[in-house]
Amino acid sequence: MRQVFDREALINLAIFAALVVTAVVAHVAGQGFTVTLATKAAIFALAGVGLNLALGYGGMISFGHAAFFGIGGYVAGILASHAASGAPLVASFAGTTSMLAIWPVAMIASGIAALLIGALSLRTSGVYFIMVTLAFAQMIFYFAISWPRYGGEDGLSFYVRNTFPGLNTFAPIQYFAICATLLALALILTAIITQSRYGLALQAVRQNSQRSTAAGIRPYAIRLTAFVLSGMITGLAGALYADLNRFVSPSMLSWHMSGEIMVFVILGGVGRLCGPVAGAAIFILLEHLLGGVSEHWQALLGLMLLVIVLFAPGGLIGMLSGRKRHA
Amino acid sequence: MPEPVLEIESLSKSFGALKATDDVSLTLRGGEIHALIGPNGAGKSTLIKQITGELRPDSGSIRFQGRAIDILDAAGRARLGLARSFQVSSVIPDFTVRQNVMLAVAGASGHVFRVLRPAQSDAKLTAPADHHIAKAGLHERAQARAAELSHGERRKLEIAMALALKPRAFLLDEPMAGMGAEGGGQVTAMLSALKAEAPILLVEHDMDAVFALADRISVLVYGRIIASGSVDEIRRDPEVRRSYLGDDA
Repeated sequence: MRQVFDREALINLAIFAALVVTAVVAHVAGQGFTVTLATKAAIFALAGVGLNLALGYGGMISFGHAAFFGIGGYVAGILASHAASGAPLVASFAGTTSMLAIWPVAMIASGIAALLIGALSLRTSGVYFIMVTLAFAQMIFYFAISWPRYGGEDGLSFYVRNTFPGLNTFAPIQYFAICATLLALALILTAIITQSRYGLALQAVRQNSQRSTAAGIRPYAIRLTAFVLSGMITGLAGALYADLNRFVSPSMLSWHMSGEIMVFVILGGVGRLCGPVAGAAIFILLEHLLGGVSEHWQALLGLMLLVIVLFAPGGLIGMLSGRKRHA
Repeated sequence: MPEPVLEIESLSKSFGALKATDDVSLTLRGGEIHALIGPNGAGKSTLIKQITGELRPDSGSIRFQGRAIDILDAAGRARLGLARSFQVSSVIPDFTVRQNVMLAVAGASGHVFRVLRPAQSDAKLTAPADHHIAKAGLHERAQARAAELSHGERRKLEIAMALALKPRAFLLDEPMAGMGAEGGGQVTAMLSALKAEAPILLVEHDMDAVFALADRISVLVYGRIIASGSVDEIRRDPEVRRSYLGDDA
């Protein structure tokens, strides 16, 4: 049996602690910008944790998770902009600036989108699944571009960050605390799910769907459930990202975004609990350190990705834990 | 004569102009091994897939334990206790032996959507799993990854998974395939053990094994059952000799 604190679990804790320590030290040193970078890393990590559930544990290579990220973002933006202008959104409801209301709406909206997209795309597999998820995300992307009411191509700004009871969300360290807490909750949820009876079925279906069926398990229902959960987590990340920037635009829905979320997962380690956290942190670090030197910093990222895929398919976590992933 | 457990009635399935299953009727009774033999391309796998629910027949019906199962999907039929093994031994490679069997226990229970308790400490999964692993003679390998098992051990794992489904009938697709001479002996012993649990519909190429093990034999040629009867009747049947066994059998 697996010990509770084996090497990989310690690495997971260390990675999460490093993120928190970075933010706290930067805060004490008065480096608000670095705190914001750490917040961005936590949000991207959360988006990756969502995708990891579908991609890593369920074997569903979704190239359309920007759809959920963007929908979460637009939910936050639309609710906040209505609250600011006072224009009614539905009937006499004029939006809200409370995060506690925005998050559930964002998760439900992206969950419904994931249910519809998943229900159709899970009828295919392999490269077709990748293409169908991409196609759905692109449809939503073009819809956002051509919808002038909420900014169309220019995106939608809202000038005041949404509120959380008892906290000043404008203080970078406090907003970081919110995002890091949600990330931790998502990680705990993922750990519980993947160790459970359902998690056993999900990972069995990924490896051998015919065998799982013969054992009395319905792969489609198992996969679809994971896909919806995955979309909801990534949608929550989208809402947080919109609040971080106080701005949403169609770029959150573009296939570049889908690719980036996938990069977080692959860099850190597919199907590793804290893989997306490590992956997102490296991504942000590279973007910050190298982005100032050259705008072609992504070439180096590409090279890193290539090396990881070829020589360390377990990603960073796989390298550190020195162990093959086991179910 | 024992009650039929599995009754197949006038099953037909075509792929375009090819009649892969042509008005096949077949029964499996309690306590027996009923072997299904036939040359390559006779439609044995197509027939098995219709019984498991992986393929929908064009017409005909299947009753299992007295109940029509035509509308059930493959997972639903498995939960009723229709246990199958695969031509190529098929397990979850990255799972341990124990996890593989726990999966089958979970599937058979029908309660797969449980997330609150870690599977490893769920006695409702681990206790039956350990029992079936011991019964299949794999208890020393319970923590081994399935991918690392030898061929014979994998077959045993498949048996343990089939047992976990609380089988009411086994569908075994060429269990001897890929086994050496001594492995074949092991499987023969295992089949006798399985027969004590539930009747077996056995698809097998190895004629010696079929003649040694089967209580009844049906011969499938071009999607049709051309003969059905005891081992001796099949040996003597002139049509079977001509079309399948060859005159020297």
